[in-house]
Amino acid sequence: MKNGIEIETYLGELRRHLGPMTLEERDEVVREIQAHIRDAAEQGTPVAAVIERLGPAAELAAQYREGLLLRQASRSFSPLTLLRGAARMATRSAAGIVVFLCGLFGYTLGAGMVIGALLKPFFPDKVGIFASESYSSSVMSGLQTMTTTTRTAPHEMLGIWAIPIFLAVGSLTLLATTMLVRAVLRESQRWQTRLQ
Amino acid sequence: MAKLKEKAAEDNAPDRWEAQLRKGALEMAALACLWQGRLYGLEIIRALETQSKLVVAEGTVYPILNRLKDEGFLAAEWVEAEAGHPRKYYALTAAGRRRLRQMAEAWESFAGGMARLLKPVLAKEEGRR
Repeated sequence: MKNGIEIETYLGELRRHLGPMTLEERDEVVREIQAHIRDAAEQGTPVAAVIERLGPAAELAAQYREGLLLRQASRSFSPLTLLRGAARMATRSAAGIVVFLCGLFGYTLGAGMVIGALLKPFFPDKVGIFASESYSSSVMSGLQTMTTTTRTAPHEMLGIWAIPIFLAVGSLTLLATTMLVRAVLRESQRWQTRLQ
Repeated sequence: MAKLKEKAAEDNAPDRWEAQLRKGALEMAALACLWQGRLYGLEIIRALETQSKLVVAEGTVYPILNRLKDEGFLAAEWVEAEAGHPRKYYALTAAGRRRLRQMAEAWESFAGGMARLLKPVLAKEEGRR
């Protein structure tokens, strides 16, 4: 009976420290460790010894969590998860910093263009690619509605075509950024494993 | 004082180094256990101990198995035992077999190089008296 309580305590602590894992994964881990303890006990080792050989629950959990963020991120499509993964990578290597900044830039640019496309019907003069006689500049997103003094008013070059073009280029940028960050996280995982 | 420090350094250093060495080989060793067929956690631990004298902290093996599964090198499934509780069996996937082959070849080539390098170190010291 005392053994039962010991086991439950240990498993409970383990589960608590597995925080970042999904519920399913946590259940799997606890279930497997429980089976291990039972098997080892059946083969004659006292429960206390089995638990001691597993090490402190917090440390066991830490080993499960090692590299978990990067693994989860490399399998995800969510920009937030991917950026978090890239941010973690950035704390370890210069390459990680580059990836993170590229990811940030790509998502901002892509999102900006898509939003611009959606706003175009409402603010036709503010969104698009602008050119004028005194200077030509490309103001690519309606979010940058700065007022600049110009000699002649810049006229927007794309007209109604801004909508599909910004939508397409923006979406492609978002897609490309996602694929790029995912691929880099995957690759970095392999290197990590080797160095450990 | 200096002698004591030296002795302490000597005692600690090989343990730490050896531990790092074992840790590096553990992934490959775990995969190798499964070459002939599937096993569950405790069986893998026992196999490692008996076949390779790799005495491992059990708290290290399970997270490694979990990671190998996440990476696609192992497949895991729970199997009901006749008169007991279910156990989680691991088996190599096709990718796992390829990866293990790759690791084994790298290991052999590395070990061969080290053996050549260490030959004089390990030679009997008879001639030097």
